[in-house]
Amino acid sequence: MAQKVEAAASGHGAEPRGKRTEDGQATYLIAIAEALWEEMERDERVFMLGEDIGVYGGAFKVTEGFVDHFGTQRVMDTPIAEETIVGTAVGAAMEGLRPVAEFQYADFMSSGFDEITTVLARYHYRTGVRLPVVLRAPSGGGVRASNFHSTNPEPWFAHAPGLKVVCPAFPSDAKGLLKSAIRDDNPVIYLEHKWIYRRIKEHVSEDLEFLIPLGSAQVKREGTDISVITYGAMVHKALEAAENLAGRGVSAEVVDLRSIVPLDEETVIASIAKTSRALVLYESHRSLGIGAEVAAMIAERAFEHLDAPVARLAPPNTPVPFSPPLEDAYLPQVSDIEAAVERLSAW
Amino acid sequence: MATEVDPATDQGGRPLPDDRLKEILYKLMLARHFDERMEALYRQGRLPGAFYSGRGQEGTHVGVAFALEERDSLFPTHRDLTAQLTKGLDLNRVMAQYWGRIDGYLRGRDGNSHIGDWEGTRTFAVISHLPIAYPVACGAALAYQRAGDRRVAMAICGDGSTSNGRWHEALNWSAIHTLPVVWVVNNNQYAYSTPNTLEFNVPTIAERAAAYGMPGIRVDGGDVLEVFDAARRAVERARDGGGPTLIESVSLRWRGHAGHDPAKYMPQELLEHYMAEKDPVKNFQEYLLTQGVVTKDGVDAVAERVASEFQAGYGFAQASPFPEAGDVELGLWAEDGYWDREPGRGGGTESA
Repeated sequence: MAQKVEAAASGHGAEPRGKRTEDGQATYLIAIAEALWEEMERDERVFMLGEDIGVYGGAFKVTEGFVDHFGTQRVMDTPIAEETIVGTAVGAAMEGLRPVAEFQYADFMSSGFDEITTVLARYHYRTGVRLPVVLRAPSGGGVRASNFHSTNPEPWFAHAPGLKVVCPAFPSDAKGLLKSAIRDDNPVIYLEHKWIYRRIKEHVSEDLEFLIPLGSAQVKREGTDISVITYGAMVHKALEAAENLAGRGVSAEVVDLRSIVPLDEETVIASIAKTSRALVLYESHRSLGIGAEVAAMIAERAFEHLDAPVARLAPPNTPVPFSPPLEDAYLPQVSDIEAAVERLSAW
Repeated sequence: MATEVDPATDQGGRPLPDDRLKEILYKLMLARHFDERMEALYRQGRLPGAFYSGRGQEGTHVGVAFALEERDSLFPTHRDLTAQLTKGLDLNRVMAQYWGRIDGYLRGRDGNSHIGDWEGTRTFAVISHLPIAYPVACGAALAYQRAGDRRVAMAICGDGSTSNGRWHEALNWSAIHTLPVVWVVNNNQYAYSTPNTLEFNVPTIAERAAAYGMPGIRVDGGDVLEVFDAARRAVERARDGGGPTLIESVSLRWRGHAGHDPAKYMPQELLEHYMAEKDPVKNFQEYLLTQGVVTKDGVDAVAERVASEFQAGYGFAQASPFPEAGDVELGLWAEDGYWDREPGRGGGTESA
């Protein structure tokens, strides 16, 4: 099997499903590739554009082998011109195509920010013209990638009305959400997490109609004492912390938001109605962000259920530092989550 | 008039049949009348929002848009309403938009000349951040190229936009992929208050085309037929798979950046020169009179027609209701269906 995987990794039109493990599991990265492949096979209006996604297969090799199978028109290598990558996707969508643009890193979305927030996000509200555009980007830290290759830009886009924002944590979710995103008639910011790419694998559906609706959270671990509301790589940290806490008699429920916009308020509220305590855990900056929104929503809708203040655990308001001790201090660690849960449990 | 005679349409050496020439005259005069009247209403406090005059640049706007077919797309700026009207926008709905009414093209979601009519006349809804539509034109052109349907995208921006990175990105990209697109720069010599000399350090914008590997041509925006001829060639070239062309059309912005700006920074002698020698409307009227295509009475009749159309448009706009305030959150997402049904029509028709 190792040989088969290696052969597939060399590209040449190999279907990503061939890169699953021997027992049929898919990594997060392969699950994303499968979603892209299946949707491109299903709908010829779908095409991809981005930097080095063709012959090279993308910086993280998500699109490896695609150009040999789908050709250069549907797997389009672009100049380093992020505004025009987005603008081209918008214009092509206006004429009936369904573009999926890849940003090499989510950090570089700032180089295309105006076309994203000013054109793509607002155009339908202004005009009624549908823009089925997906912007994929590897986000997040924890891989020693330093300042400009580690950001979590989801709050920027969550704050631009008209964009759906998706942050999957598991291979199945990554696949089902990406297929839904590509079929959605609205613009979707699809933030992959590079720490998860090759670390997490699981059995993933091979059903071509395997879809997970955007805007649906999911309880990843049941618990009774506290709800940890999170998404992205922090889901995995939260699950590890919950396992450790269980050994100490604390039952933590882990809610994976999966989508930031739309936000599945009902699943969050239902969890808090059960546990009466909430920790909002996230990897973007602590202040004025996702945690503030979720905490405010809980305060407005679930105050009567709460036995403790809603707490936030997130990185400080600084850029993402490089040196390992600094990055480790910056990112919430499993021990930080356990400590935060225990503080809340003491109320 | 630096135009080439097409034997198939030759009429006394004129480049277009008389009915087409008269259509150009009508578009030029409609634009001039609209511009003068709307600015007056703005200054009287009777027009809400903003007004961006395109006066003095009608030769550019009519000339380039006249070269497009209905199925081609146009990506204009806030100063290019004349090009949109030439492409076929309905004056009544344009004016309803200016007054924020439900019968405007964008149902009151946007104002003034931030108009678009994608499903109808294939015009992109104007966005202020220039040249933000240039990259979008690349995408439309890419779709035409892939479909092989010989359609063309045309984008307009001003001289000010050529200093922005997106201008470079879009031209470069379009040349790499031989996209069927025509890039028009309406060089009216000022970016708000900033003159050409503080915008770029080359003699002309057109020559920058060489850096991208596409032809660049500089035309006199005071001569609508010269502009049209260049645009027609560029459109044909794009349609035939020849790729993009850059057209720099030189005029002068006769008025300020917008209705509030008296443009005191503009040298008076420069303005007087352009108004006397480079008035695209007056020049074209004189050309048609000299050629015997129209009579003085014929020109007067067009003047009466555009005045009465403007008056009708004003009446239509004032009679149109405002949008329903309760609809403010609708239309953000495709699935809420707001844009698929008749909109709520709010109360009140008084001017803002």
